[in-house]
Amino acid sequence: MREQDLLIQRFLDDDLTPEERVAFLQVVDTDPSLRRRWLNLELVVAEAAQLPRLAPSARFLSQVQSKLAIEPTSLWDRLRAMVTAPRTLEWNFAGAMVAASVALVAVAGLLQFAPERIVEVPVPIAGGQAQTASFAPGQESKVYVRLVLLQPDARSVSVAGDFNDWNPGETKLERSEGGLWTATIALKPGRYQYMFVIDGKQWVADPLAEEGAGDGFGAQNAVLDVAI
Amino acid sequence: MQIDRGGLDDEAKLIARSLKQDSDAFGQLVEQYATVIVNLAYRMVGDRTEAEDLAQETFVAAFKALPRFRAESKFSTWLYRIAANKCKDWLRAKRPGQGVQDVDVDEVLDAGVAAEERTPELLLSQQQVAGQLDRAIQRLPPLYREAFVLKHVEGLSYEEMQEILGVNGDTLKMRVYKGRLQLSRELAELKEA
Repeated sequence: MREQDLLIQRFLDDDLTPEERVAFLQVVDTDPSLRRRWLNLELVVAEAAQLPRLAPSARFLSQVQSKLAIEPTSLWDRLRAMVTAPRTLEWNFAGAMVAASVALVAVAGLLQFAPERIVEVPVPIAGGQAQTASFAPGQESKVYVRLVLLQPDARSVSVAGDFNDWNPGETKLERSEGGLWTATIALKPGRYQYMFVIDGKQWVADPLAEEGAGDGFGAQNAVLDVAI
Repeated sequence: MQIDRGGLDDEAKLIARSLKQDSDAFGQLVEQYATVIVNLAYRMVGDRTEAEDLAQETFVAAFKALPRFRAESKFSTWLYRIAANKCKDWLRAKRPGQGVQDVDVDEVLDAGVAAEERTPELLLSQQQVAGQLDRAIQRLPPLYREAFVLKHVEGLSYEEMQEILGVNGDTLKMRVYKGRLQLSRELAELKEA
């Protein structure tokens, strides 16, 4: 590196002493070639500091959330914490009697009204949102859930949620006439959050979901409660 | 990136909550740093979609590695480091055989300028400088680009850059110098064309 170039670089990096800065500026004043090289470099530095900043797209935060898949861990941790956390119980005899009575009535009601066998039933499409039908294939009961989204302009629609590790490539919806997209999936009873993914890039919550939940990034996931 | 003391205290609380799998807390950290990390990735890879993908990978990696984060460095420095490594990995995969380490200073400078397409119609106005500079940054060798972007686009000090990149200050100054020089030459050439 030539001595003059070194001086310019040290000037730009703020590495010169006050005396050296004065000396440098005096040389610049008398040397047009050096002045030009210096000003060209100053222009680069000044323009770089003012380059326009990109704002992250709307999909960015929801996709980070889906990749993190925080919720299942978080829920488990919270449940575990609830079960294992030490606490002081305050015994209230009257309250306990009421709770026991309610439990007895609930069990009796279940015994009286629960069907011997739960069977699959047809699911009407006309409601729009996630709809459920249940069956009992042996020991592990699952519920068929039909997901429905009206998107006439979409080329593809899939669903990502707690049930498929937020993988939008795993569960595709099929298109039917009028731009209605549907998928039927079997789920164990539980509470799930999910989002539709349109054309592989646009994440939207189910507009007909009965409930939403914050995704931790300012947006809302749709919530689906599956019960037998 | 300047954060005041109160901001650092808040950040420490968010990190502590994130360590307990509090998604809201980590979400706030992501929101706080999303723009910075997306922009760093964008300047490194030159493509918005790829930049957002790399930024996502950065945050996912950070969340997973959070238990290993020690407050010896700032959270932002740690995040920058992860992002810089993600970008390097991406560049290596994109251009196999042309590692980010193997750059010959003068050879690259000469080749970069010689390969530049110049047309008579290309007149550089004041408004065009930023656009030209943006594109010229993409033509810098990755190591110079990384150093130049951190120094002059992100406005970091050499000390912070040293911590992020694990490279000594003199080497970083040389890379920034070479980056500035190439950019200056390219812009000057365009002006004269």
